[in-house]
Amino acid sequence: MSSNTSVTRVLVSSVGEAQRVPVHLMPCEIEHNGPAQVSQYLTATTKDCKLEKTVSFRGRGLKGQELSCPNGYTGLVLKEINKSGSDQEDRTVKVSSVFDKLTYWNLETPPNSDDTVVMAMDWPELAEAIHGPVED
Amino acid sequence: MDLSPFETDNSVSCRLASQIPDVCRTEDCCLGIDEAGRGPVLGPMVYGICFCPVSKKQELKESKVADSKTLTEAERENLFQKLDEAKSYIGWALHIISPNTISTSMLQRSKYNLNALSHDSAIDLVQFALDSGVQLKEVFVDTVGPADKYEEKLSKRFPGIEVTVRPKADSLFPIVSAASICAKVARDHVVKGWNFAEDLGEVDSAYGSGYPSDPKTKAWLLKCLDPVFGYPQFVRFSWSTAQTLMDSKGVTVHWDDDDEDGEKAAQRHNNRSMLAYFSASAGGNDQNPTRQTHRFFTERRLKSLDTL
Repeated sequence: MSSNTSVTRVLVSSVGEAQRVPVHLMPCEIEHNGPAQVSQYLTATTKDCKLEKTVSFRGRGLKGQELSCPNGYTGLVLKEINKSGSDQEDRTVKVSSVFDKLTYWNLETPPNSDDTVVMAMDWPELAEAIHGPVED
Repeated sequence: MDLSPFETDNSVSCRLASQIPDVCRTEDCCLGIDEAGRGPVLGPMVYGICFCPVSKKQELKESKVADSKTLTEAERENLFQKLDEAKSYIGWALHIISPNTISTSMLQRSKYNLNALSHDSAIDLVQFALDSGVQLKEVFVDTVGPADKYEEKLSKRFPGIEVTVRPKADSLFPIVSAASICAKVARDHVVKGWNFAEDLGEVDSAYGSGYPSDPKTKAWLLKCLDPVFGYPQFVRFSWSTAQTLMDSKGVTVHWDDDDEDGEKAAQRHNNRSMLAYFSASAGGNDQNPTRQTHRFFTERRLKSLDTL
């Protein structure tokens, strides 16, 4: 029930200092939080074909595409500051970087409209419809 | 040997071929198949075919082509020159299978193993010779696997051609030796001048023979390991040598098709990082049993910031 008792605060002011960065959404879990040589390894070997991008990571073939954030939205990469040990305490996160598009990768499967992250972009429009102001 | 078609993009496989000698289109021909670079953890595997009229077999024998492994690099280069000079009756073709192709094929969801890759490559090359009008009557193949089955497979695939599959065929049949020389020369050139697609600046070129047992290769693999990406595409990720080093010195990477036992996976997911936001099994409601998250959100892996 942690989500009901503690609050996560976003330091919105940090958006101003945040850098715009290329973001890759990988189809695997990498047990690493920190810098990585993305441009040297991934970007340098990525191929742009007509309908998809291709690359390999750790010897596995990936296919992907670029995806823009929904209109009026900005993507945020958040980083927790002063991470507390207990989940009862409030948490604070700051914006470490921002993005307006990302490249997502599937394992061997060509990118398509059923991909989770593509479908996730439906939400803003739906949210607007159900939460937005009602016009008479 | 002009390897530029492969070198312009060494992440994919490539076929290179000599001119087809006119005489090979009119006379009965024999063809040899051999490979180079099956074992190494570095660089491409090269499949080679060499063909000439059956009537020229003796001439080929007299040119003293021998199994490429028993020759020095310089001797191989010389013999390749000789083969090239005999282009009026000897033709060759190569299939360079890039290390990236080897890695991604062997590690594919539906595994495509090295034997299948090799057989398909050999079949492609024979078909290429046939499509080019070479009058094939005899095919000799070197193999590392069981010869009988492979011979049967090739005979069925190419009816009317007499197929002989033999271990050590490269030392028994001059036309196979010739194919082995073409393949080995190409592999040596490609490995020596490997053009790293990664943006790594000056890469140490002391990688040795590429065989996992070579101390130089071992030292190079240890030195070049990147904790996140592992290796450049020059390395065959599917080789246990590379896997073991990445397991011990690199960061762990989990794929959704990993063979991981359920308990371990569950343990890992309880202790998740921000990245788990994107992982396959991140259901929406495990942290808040009183309120079911609607399928709309779980299907899209959308979560409220508070639940991360």
